[in-house]
Amino acid sequence: MRSRIICKLFQEYYSKDFHIENAPKQMDKREFGFILFSEGVMVRHKRFKRLDELKAFMRENVPSDAYYSCAYYEDPEAEMDKKGWVGADLIFDIDADHIPTNCDRVHDEWTCISCGFEGKGIVPKNCPICGCEKFDVKTWPCEKCLESAKAETVKLLNFLINDFGFLEDEIQLFFSGNRGYHVHVVSEAIKELDSSARKEIVDYICGIGLDVSFHAPVVKKHEKGVEVGRGMRFSCFGWPQRLWSGAQTFLEEANENYLREIGLKLDVIDTIVKNRAALLRGLREHGGLPLIRGVGAGTWKRILEHIVNLQSAKIDTVVTTDTHRLIRLPNTLNGKTGFKKVELPISKIDEFDPFKEAIAFRDGSIKVKVVSAPAFRVGDETFGPYKNGIIELPTAAALLLLCRERAEAVE
Amino acid sequence: MLTSLIKFTKSDLARYPFLKESAEYVKSLDIKVEDLQSPEFSRVLERARERVEEAILYTLVSRKLKHEEIEILSFPVAIMLTVATGNNFIKERYALAEAKQAYLDMKVESKEKIMAIAGNFSWRIWLASEAPYTFKIHFSDCLRNTVHLRDKKWKLVNRLMAGGTVYLTRSETARLLSEEVRRHIKRRLEASEVPKLPQFITDVAQKLSMLTVEKIGKSELEGMPKTVKVEAFPPCVSALYEAASTGRHISHIGRFTLTSFLVNIGMPIDAIIDLFRNSSDFNERLTRYQVEHIAGERGSRTKYNPPKCELLKTHGVCTNPNGVCAKINHPLAYYLRRGTAAKTGQRATNNKMLN
Ligand code: SF4
Ligand SMILES: [Zn+2]
Ligand SMILES: [Zn+2]
Repeated sequence: MRSRIICKLFQEYYSKDFHIENAPKQMDKREFGFILFSEGVMVRHKRFKRLDELKAFMRENVPSDAYYSCAYYEDPEAEMDKKGWVGADLIFDIDADHIPTNCDRVHDEWTCISCGFEGKGIVPKNCPICGCEKFDVKTWPCEKCLESAKAETVKLLNFLINDFGFLEDEIQLFFSGNRGYHVHVVSEAIKELDSSARKEIVDYICGIGLDVSFHAPVVKKHEKGVEVGRGMRFSCFGWPQRLWSGAQTFLEEANENYLREIGLKLDVIDTIVKNRAALLRGLREHGGLPLIRGVGAGTWKRILEHIVNLQSAKIDTVVTTDTHRLIRLPNTLNGKTGFKKVELPISKIDEFDPFKEAIAFRDGSIKVKVVSAPAFRVGDETFGPYKNGIIELPTAAALLLLCRERAEAVE
Repeated sequence: MLTSLIKFTKSDLARYPFLKESAEYVKSLDIKVEDLQSPEFSRVLERARERVEEAILYTLVSRKLKHEEIEILSFPVAIMLTVATGNNFIKERYALAEAKQAYLDMKVESKEKIMAIAGNFSWRIWLASEAPYTFKIHFSDCLRNTVHLRDKKWKLVNRLMAGGTVYLTRSETARLLSEEVRRHIKRRLEASEVPKLPQFITDVAQKLSMLTVEKIGKSELEGMPKTVKVEAFPPCVSALYEAASTGRHISHIGRFTLTSFLVNIGMPIDAIIDLFRNSSDFNERLTRYQVEHIAGERGSRTKYNPPKCELLKTHGVCTNPNGVCAKINHPLAYYLRRGTAAKTGQRATNNKMLN
């Protein structure tokens, strides 16, 4: 049971401020699902023919979280196997949970469910004490983490627009209201793709299964001239372009430390540093990977695999391949933060400030008893860090702590 | 888009009898099933029989272009014969054989004609000027036809793609088109329930079925090892099995993989449910529901297959693949290889193996 005050605020929002201009296309073909404050479980298989029906439902039932299916169904209210799947939008989720940052140690905490062992940072696969795989996790919507999620989102958009050729009006970009970004592609071109075809799209964007020999041939020098090997020359788009420009930047910038970090041997590093200019020239002139004594195909493979990792976008692979997925409904409140899921124009992503644009409550203040919270910002104001104290905060800031279970309301 | 306005000739229709235009041509002749019995059409029926026979024997269907009319007409009749056999092996084979032959023809076909055939299947196709490529097609048309192909050159991530189009050489295009042909014919073979067919048709179909049993033998239809062989599990399933028996948490996809795998190799449902008993959040009713669902005993009544290795790799379920893994693309294929390769003589008791 969640705190009564959260429910009251959400109720206020859904009775006054809730608008959806960007309602899901063909909403009568979608399944809706809600987590209700009163029950704490998911209520699924709902259908709304019109926007005002949905709004009335929200007003009357006040869910802590609201979702709709990426899928279109003949009968959204039927049981799962009888719904009659007719297609689905292509959905991407970029969540800070999947991106390692150097601040997750500061604000993320986990506790092993079976033995109670606690730690900070990215959640391990197994508990180091008892080997159990289930944890109670407390994360935080942190600015730095969100910046790295944004960087991944920019890479994703680049794939979608340049490689997959989606038009900007087929792509909707959202801040999830918590720790990341959602990208919805609504297009006839992908509507009927099954899960295995979507997996190919995921693998493309993540660089999974990429074999560099298809994109980057090696160049051999003989007395007679040069010979570009199997594969095509680097071209000016797609993965070949990413590898080629990545390889150039890499050669320009790589110092010894960096080269050691990606696992190259000392003598190889030495050769690269000494022949940097020649290697760069070879790369640019022949559109292939120049081989010299000490830097062979194996070394290049290592380097390019590192570049693939840098250039790929860290998306949640499960979300995109799931053709029945429920996704958060735009403009509804995120029960984990009290922020809205908001749409932003692709062209505005650089200057987008999630801690400003996603605020749902702009007036008033609430007195809360904080257990612990890292420093954070809402709007233009910064708060914390807090440890065991009573304090009066602007509504949005207080709500964030309440939703995160880092504070309780003081009546 | 360059959907060319080229007209197919009658000889084209004979070579590519799966085209819409061929079907329209046949329709325009307005022939009834019964007519096939008349001497006038006996050669059509004979050629249709021969098409299916060639498919069964050689996985190819020759082209006999001297008699274009017979060639065109015999295709829908061959489809009818294949449906009438009710034999899935023959259906697969026939679709594959027609597609293979189409590949050989399309490989040497003119650009215009390739584009017209592609247009017939509603592909979005353009000419490409970047050597060594001849065509570019929309990635969704590509994906529909590559997801079942194993060679890593067909993985989208290994293709050159820009602006939503994938670049292909001429023979690659023919290859993907032939895949489209195979799927198209399979759909036709699976569509609708079998119509009531006259005796003379079912007689021919029956002979074709018998030919299949003779020539192909039972080997290709042979199933799984009779008992559950834990030692033949692939590494991924072994790890999941181990985790389940020791009550460790398993991801959703991991649970699905393990359950569908065990269901498919014929482990009894109760034994599978028992396996999950050690989990801290074990719920008998829910587990039974899930297992029975995957086994196809509830809901949609379809038995689910475990995901392919590729998908398992994407989701991190594939752990420590070994040498055998390199030769297969599905955990069940691993089990089949190891299960039948291992000595089948000694029968371990079920109890011991289920532990
Ligand atoms: S390759 Fe396939 S069978 Fe082998 S471990 Fe990986 S997923 Fe399992
Ligand atoms: Zn533990
Ligand atoms: Zn952070």
